[in-house]
Amino acid sequence: MAEKLLEIKNLKQHFNVGKANEVKAVDGISFDIYKGETLGLVGESGCGKSTTGRSIIRLYDATDGEVLYEGESVHGKKSKKDLKKFNRKMQMIFQDPYASLNQRMKVMDIIAEGIDIHGLAKSSKEREQMVFDLLETVGLNKEHANRYPHEFSGGQRQRLGIARALAVDPDFIIADEPISALDVSIQAQVVNLLKDLQKEKGLTYLFIAHDLSMVKYISDRIAVMYFGKMVELAPAEDLYNNPMHPYTQSLLSAIPLPDPNYERNRVRKSYDPASHNYTEGEDVRMREITPGHFVDCSEREFEALKAGSLKV
Amino acid sequence: MEKILQVKDLELSFNTFGGEVKAIRGVNFDLYKGETLAIVGESGSGKSVTTKSIMRLLPESSAEFKNGEILFGGRDLTKLSDKEMQKIRGKDISMIFQDPMTSLNPTMPIGRQITEPLLKHQKISKTEARKVAIDLLRLVGMPKPELRMKQYPHQFSGGQRQRIVIAISLACNPQILIADEPTTALDVTIQAQILELMKDLQKKIDTSIIFITHDLGVVANVADRVAVMYGGKIVEIGTVDEIFYNPQHPYTWGLLSSMPSLDTEDAKLYAIPGTPPDLLDPPKGDAFALRSEYAMKIDMEMDPPFFKISDTHMAATWLLHPDAPQVEPPLSVIERMKKFPGSRYYEGSVN
Repeated sequence: MAEKLLEIKNLKQHFNVGKANEVKAVDGISFDIYKGETLGLVGESGCGKSTTGRSIIRLYDATDGEVLYEGESVHGKKSKKDLKKFNRKMQMIFQDPYASLNQRMKVMDIIAEGIDIHGLAKSSKEREQMVFDLLETVGLNKEHANRYPHEFSGGQRQRLGIARALAVDPDFIIADEPISALDVSIQAQVVNLLKDLQKEKGLTYLFIAHDLSMVKYISDRIAVMYFGKMVELAPAEDLYNNPMHPYTQSLLSAIPLPDPNYERNRVRKSYDPASHNYTEGEDVRMREITPGHFVDCSEREFEALKAGSLKV
Repeated sequence: MEKILQVKDLELSFNTFGGEVKAIRGVNFDLYKGETLAIVGESGSGKSVTTKSIMRLLPESSAEFKNGEILFGGRDLTKLSDKEMQKIRGKDISMIFQDPMTSLNPTMPIGRQITEPLLKHQKISKTEARKVAIDLLRLVGMPKPELRMKQYPHQFSGGQRQRIVIAISLACNPQILIADEPTTALDVTIQAQILELMKDLQKKIDTSIIFITHDLGVVANVADRVAVMYGGKIVEIGTVDEIFYNPQHPYTWGLLSSMPSLDTEDAKLYAIPGTPPDLLDPPKGDAFALRSEYAMKIDMEMDPPFFKISDTHMAATWLLHPDAPQVEPPLSVIERMKKFPGSRYYEGSVN
């Protein structure tokens, strides 16, 4: 098994704690992210997938639980210096390429911001060269450095966002729906770019999305979230071929595919959380059914799933 | 089949400070009774503008019909006065918008919003209208409709709001329903419910639907026929099987192969290079030529006419000209063509 880069242990992120409108956006999830892999995180809007990403990178302070990056906790009391160290290793690409770039800054300064903060360039000449190289890496050219974000199309802006994330030479990138705001033909360009960069630089991705076919294409493993909990985690192929949790099954059965014959025969399943019939106090947690395939289930369901998967 | 709407040689431009943006550059299509026609294309391809021009929802100060006509019930919609148009809008032709958050009035109970078109277009009393509205809500699958009539949009979820918008659009039994990305803002599971609802309702009231989307999965699910738009023009139109299993235009090839299917292997995703054309200054010849690896010399000089592939299938690309060299479509497209009787890659049926 590959080396663990991140360990997320019982992460909880609650908002408005103690008030009537308390929201348990993320309610105790645990998983690992291995070096060099892409972990896809899917679920409906409001299920807490973005919050998970943001808590991992400490945009929010976690309510409870731990995030360990190479064995070191990201949360908790940290000096500015320590935080800087994490910020260099972890970067984020945001969903909306229009809102995530400062309109008043030139591309050069947007991309170089991280370089400046971390003091990575010794001279302004070097800084310039680094930005030029980054622009080239993401498929833009150096003439673009003196422009403002509004002069770029959506796909180009997302490339700028990627260049900015790469500027500090991170190991781990959280991509929060990086392609949902882009046109179909442009989505493929950005996804290919992300894949190429991963190969070149050995990056690790947490890829958050709701477009399941794209997630399957880019991810090695996929985690499915439902109402702040993780319900299933499995290798990408495995999850699609053999979804075990009823919610995953319903989610997969809802995706329309660009294939009319398939669409005519598709049967949609719906998910009712009450169908589990959990008794009170029943121990429901992630259990490993087949190697690497985890499902949120009770002891009783675990036995049934295990028996079922053995038959197959 | 009965033609219910005909769009002929439609050309429309926006006058902007930057100059004339030629948003629609000669669009032709017919809509038949009871069918669903999907229009697909990237943002800026003119799909929304086409339907908004049918509804005459574009600002008259900047949008200008340059040529062509939109025939509905023997009348040319481009020439109607605002008053005449108001009688059609919401009654004979109605529209569902993308964002159910903004298309409902947040300060009005939803009951009043549903009865509004009824009171405006039909001579019925308020109590009758209320009854119809409750029936409509029940029709779109809203639980406890009597109670919910008095509630405001913010008290509903996104999917429920879209159901309300559908109820409003169906209030006067329209002959044509235009749905502009009705499910784009919704989650996949909710999307599936709304699509099922729309298909059910279509069967019940026999309306024709123009469905705009960029999601080819949704198209495969709802459409009877598909029109692919690029750079303000329709570049290919055909039945859903013809477009998905026997596409002819390089842009359609690009669209179909840039989407990973659930069984795409690790092979690189096909990406259409470059960006859509700037319609302020549309390129000469085939608008897609600059992004196409199949472009020939003539593509840079002359606009391709429509070539007929079957009675229902047409594509505007010089590749279909008898003198054009035969080219190999992308692999994933060939895979699709293998399933289509009549294409040159057909391998016979599986059974």
